Amino acid sequence: MRLVRAELLKARRRAATMVIFIVAVVITGAIYLLAGSALGGISCQFTGDCLIEFPAAYAIADQLVFGLGGLLVVVYAAAFVGADWNWGVLRNVIARGESRVNYLLGKAVALAILIAIAELVLFLFCIVMTYVAGALYGIQVASPLRGNGLEDFVASLVLGYPVLLERAAIGFAVAVILRSQLAGAVVGVVLFVGEAIITTVLTAFTLAGTLSRGGFGGGLPSIGPEWFQFLPISLGGEILNAAPGNASGLGSGSLEGLFLQSVPLEQALAGTLIYLVVATVIALAALNRQEIV
Amino acid sequence: MNAEQPAGMGPSAPPPPPASPPPPAAPPPPPESSSPSQFAGSSPFSGPPPTDFAVATRGLVKSYGRHPALVGLDISVPRGRVYGFLGPNGSGKTTALRLLTGLIRPNAGAIWLFGQPYSWHDRKRLFKVGSLIETPSFYPYLSGRENLLVLGATGPATAPGRIEQVLEYVGMSGRAGDAVQTYSLGMKQRLGIAAAMLSDPDLLLLDEPANGLDPGGIVAMRETLRYFTAQLGKTVVLSSHQLHETQLLADVVGIIDRGRLIREGDLDRLLQDSGRVRVRVAPDEMPRAAEVIKRLAPDRQLYGIDSGADAGWFTVGMAPGRASELNQALGAVGIYASGLEPGSDLESLFLELTAGGPAVQPSAR
Repeated sequence: MRLVRAELLKARRRAATMVIFIVAVVITGAIYLLAGSALGGISCQFTGDCLIEFPAAYAIADQLVFGLGGLLVVVYAAAFVGADWNWGVLRNVIARGESRVNYLLGKAVALAILIAIAELVLFLFCIVMTYVAGALYGIQVASPLRGNGLEDFVASLVLGYPVLLERAAIGFAVAVILRSQLAGAVVGVVLFVGEAIITTVLTAFTLAGTLSRGGFGGGLPSIGPEWFQFLPISLGGEILNAAPGNASGLGSGSLEGLFLQSVPLEQALAGTLIYLVVATVIALAALNRQEIV
Repeated sequence: MNAEQPAGMGPSAPPPPPASPPPPAAPPPPPESSSPSQFAGSSPFSGPPPTDFAVATRGLVKSYGRHPALVGLDISVPRGRVYGFLGPNGSGKTTALRLLTGLIRPNAGAIWLFGQPYSWHDRKRLFKVGSLIETPSFYPYLSGRENLLVLGATGPATAPGRIEQVLEYVGMSGRAGDAVQTYSLGMKQRLGIAAAMLSDPDLLLLDEPANGLDPGGIVAMRETLRYFTAQLGKTVVLSSHQLHETQLLADVVGIIDRGRLIREGDLDRLLQDSGRVRVRVAPDEMPRAAEVIKRLAPDRQLYGIDSGADAGWFTVGMAPGRASELNQALGAVGIYASGLEPGSDLESLFLELTAGGPAVQPSAR
C-alpha cells in the first residue's frame, strides 16, 4: 500500500499527468462544440435523432473517453513507468532491496486508480459539455437519465474500464521492455495506430473478397468475426461496440465495426482481460530479469 | 541536533562534533603469498568463507557482452572501517558496486555480505545497505523531502522522523522543500548521501560521494563518514578518484585495475611498505632536484607534485634507509629539503600500481 501511495504522490506532482488530462479535456470540449454546431444540427434535421441529445450523446462520450482516452493512456502509462529508467531512480529502489515485482505491481495499481479517476471525470465532463453544446446551439439535449440513460452511463464506465486498462498495460509493458518513457510512448502509439490501420485494411480486403464471391446476398454484412478483430486494440473496440451508449450504431467508429459482425461481448471481455494480464506479466518478467545499469 | 549526531554538510550547519577515529586495528600480518591483499587466505576456493568481513568477494567475474569488466575480483572489506575502493576509469569499481547492490548479476564468483553468502535474489539483505552509485538520481519535479518520502516507501520500513534526521545530517533541511531540478550538483550529491543513509544502514556504498561538493561540504562529509564508522561501528566503502581525500578518510584501501584487485590492505601499512621516501624541496628547485634524485634511483619511477598545497614533494623509489643519502646528495648541490619522511602517498602508490600516471617530471617553472 505504501508503494501505491508513493506512486500516487509522484503522479499527482508530475506535470505529464495534468498535461495529458488537459489535452483530453480540450479535445473533448472542442469536439462537443463541433458536434453541436455541425453534426448535431445535421443529425437532428435529417434523422430526428440528435447526436448531442441523451441517450445518443453517450455514443460521443464513449468515442472520446475510450477512443481518444485509449490512445492517451498508452502514452501516459509509458511515461508513468518509463520515467524510472530515464531518471535513473529505479537504481535507488532496487539497491534498497525492494522487490521488483512488488514495485511494478504498485505502479500498476496506482495507474489503474488514476485511469479510473480520469475516466469518471472525463465522462462527467462529456455530460456537462453536452449541455453546453446544446445551450450554445439551441438543441434540447433532454435528461441524461432519459430512457436507459443512467444504466447506459454505468455500463459504459464498467465496460470501458478494462479496455483502458488493457491499452495502458500495453504502453506499460513496452516502456518496461524498452526501458524508456519516450520509446515506450512512441512504440505504444505506433502499435495503437498501426493496428487500427492494419485491421481497417484487412477489413477492406475481407469485404472485397466477400463481394467478389457474390456479395452479401442483398442483406447487411454477415461476415466475421475475423481473426484480426481479436488483436489487442481491436478487441477493445469490440467491447465498445457492445457498450449500451453505442445503440446509435456508431460502434467504435471503425470500418470493421460497421461491416463485420461483432465479437461476442463475453469473448471480447475475456480476451481483453487476457491481454491485460499477459502484458502485465511480460512487464514483470522483463523487469525481473533486467540488469539495471 | 543530538550531540551524538554528525553535523550537516551545509555551511549553515554547526560544525560536526569531533569524531574520534576508530582505534587502529592491530596491523594484519604481512602477505604470506603473492596475493595482493593483506586479507588473503579467506578464499572459498582455498579455505573457510570470509565471514569476518562486512563485504567480501571471491573470483567475481562480470562481462558486458564481450567486454570483461571484472575478471576475478577478490576484495575484503573489514567491518567498522572506511574502505577506499580505488581504480582508474573503467577498472570495474562501479560494476563491483552494482553487483553488491543487486542491480546486475555476476557471471561467476561469490559475494558475502556481513559474513553470509549473498546472491541476486537475496534482496532483503540489502535492507542494511545504503548506496549512492554513480550520479545521484531523483525525480526532478519532486522536492528533496518528497524524493526521500517516495524512496522511503520502498525496501525496509523508514523510521518516523528519519527523513528529517538524514536531511539534517547532510545540511539540506533548509532546501528540502524545493524541487530537485533547482538543486546544484553538490546539493543533489548531499541528497544522494541522505538517501543512502535513509535506512540507517550498517554498510554504506558510496561512489564518488565528494563529486560536486564544495570544500566545506567535503570536510563535513568526511566528519560524517568518520562518525558513522568510529561512533556507530558502521562500514563505509568509498569509491573515489580523489586520492587525497581518500587518504584522509580511508583506513583500508583496495586498488583495482582491469577488473582485478592489485593491492589491498591497511592504508598506513601500504604506504609505509612501499619502499619509498618522500622529500620536499622548494617548488622552484624541483627540476634540479629531480636530476639529483634520478641519479640516486635511476631504475625507479619518480613522482613529484609541482603545484597546489603539496607542491615540492617528491616520492622517490628507494629504501627508507637511504633517506640520509638522498638528503646529503641534495645538500651537495645546494638544495635543502624542508621535509623528509619514509613511505609514500596514496597518489604515488596508485599511479605506480595502475601504471596510469606519467613518470612525473616536475614542470620547469
